[in-house]
Amino acid sequence: MSELLRTNLYDEHVKLGGKIVPFAGWEMPVQYTSVKDEALAVRNSVGVFDVSHMGEFFIEGKDAEAFADYLVTNDILNAPTGKAVYSPLCRENGTVVDDLIVYKIAPGRVMICVNASNIEKDFDWMKTKKTGFDCSFTNLSHVFSLLALQGPKALETLKSFVNELPDLEYYSVFETSIGSHPVILARTGYTGEDGFEIFGHHQTIKDLWKNLMAVGVTPCGLAARDVLRLEVCYPLYGHELNDEVNPYDAGLAWTVKPLKTKFIGKDILESKPAKYKLVKLILEKGIPREGYAVLNAKNEVIGQVTSGTISVVLNKGICLARIQIDKAPTDEVFSIDIRNKAYPAQLVKKPFVTGGHK
Amino acid sequence: MSTNIPSNLNYTKEHEWTLTEGDIVTIGITDFAQSALGDIVFVEVPEVGADLKVGATFGVVESIKSVSDLYSPISGEVIAKNNDVEASPEKINQDAYGSWLIKVKMKDHSEINKLLSAEQYQEFCNTSH
Repeated sequence: MSELLRTNLYDEHVKLGGKIVPFAGWEMPVQYTSVKDEALAVRNSVGVFDVSHMGEFFIEGKDAEAFADYLVTNDILNAPTGKAVYSPLCRENGTVVDDLIVYKIAPGRVMICVNASNIEKDFDWMKTKKTGFDCSFTNLSHVFSLLALQGPKALETLKSFVNELPDLEYYSVFETSIGSHPVILARTGYTGEDGFEIFGHHQTIKDLWKNLMAVGVTPCGLAARDVLRLEVCYPLYGHELNDEVNPYDAGLAWTVKPLKTKFIGKDILESKPAKYKLVKLILEKGIPREGYAVLNAKNEVIGQVTSGTISVVLNKGICLARIQIDKAPTDEVFSIDIRNKAYPAQLVKKPFVTGGHK
Repeated sequence: MSTNIPSNLNYTKEHEWTLTEGDIVTIGITDFAQSALGDIVFVEVPEVGADLKVGATFGVVESIKSVSDLYSPISGEVIAKNNDVEASPEKINQDAYGSWLIKVKMKDHSEINKLLSAEQYQEFCNTSH
């Protein structure tokens, strides 16, 4: 692997005592003080994540919305300007290249935010699909820093720093400024809580980070982010999603709109092919981890944990697991093999934790 | 990273500490280990009566983000386990040396001589990270 990259806030993380680890080609803070305290700050108050490693692509021109709509499985064309739309990005065979958020910032101006580990793969893939669309397509990942300010107090915290902050709907986007510096503000996040993602130039975001620290916002690392997203059952690329599964395999049927006239993967995805089922399991005892086997009532292996941890809210082991659809037990009896012992796991239909987002 | 390393204990390269009192060896994980792991949420140690072999895994410590095996510093029979720490694993984060895991009646005193001194362990922590 080539040299690890650092966000513009790297020195700030080190100053705050952040423990730095390699992640998706970047040196990122995994935690500052305590994963639990950081995660609970987001659930109960407000925390901030440096997610500047993520990628930002811009599509601009007459066909901006049409191109974005063609690339992804979810419906971009019919979403109003000012909306953000979560979607998988698929290949013709339906497998998932990445999952991303499309932001309809203004007519003819669309931003796509992608996972750090997939920036080049996504950009190269999308570029090959642009033929026939009248728009520009640029990778501006290196130009932007990005903060995720998350938690029930995110709105009141951000109000004092941003020139204009209307009460945006959840999953909407708005251009505003901090002082004289333009920022793109979205009411999105990866925690299930209310909150904002703030895209801006490096110095603007660094100043904002310092200001947020000065008013006591909790800095949060990757480990807290992972617990928070898993508590509300958001998938993570490389775990629930990868190049070998389609959106139906990962519980994302709601993000595929077969009625759209054309999009990459439509021919295959129309028939809703699924080899797997993604299930949510909670344990009274034991902590499930990625790769652990999922067992049926006869202790036969029927799948694997894709992400597992202990919930800081529930104080119980929770996981998402990929089950082979032809082996999904009708009696819904599951257990997880933890160090050669079967721990009973309860199937749940709703996310483990209900986030407070609007 | 904090490296509180009491001089009256012995250590392993797997970041366990041992306190020897006659035949009885008390075992826990070091301050360095608890700090590296972060919030400890689960501890599994063998029952009283279990037979331990030096170098073999005898249990696990789990933090929110990871699972770490415990390796026995010595051979012998488990004569006590710390139920308080099993019930409240976060105590290890608060006081790693006050939160022992198990007490073992050792078989072979010479195994103690192979453990690291506080000074050697300090050196090991400095160079391994």
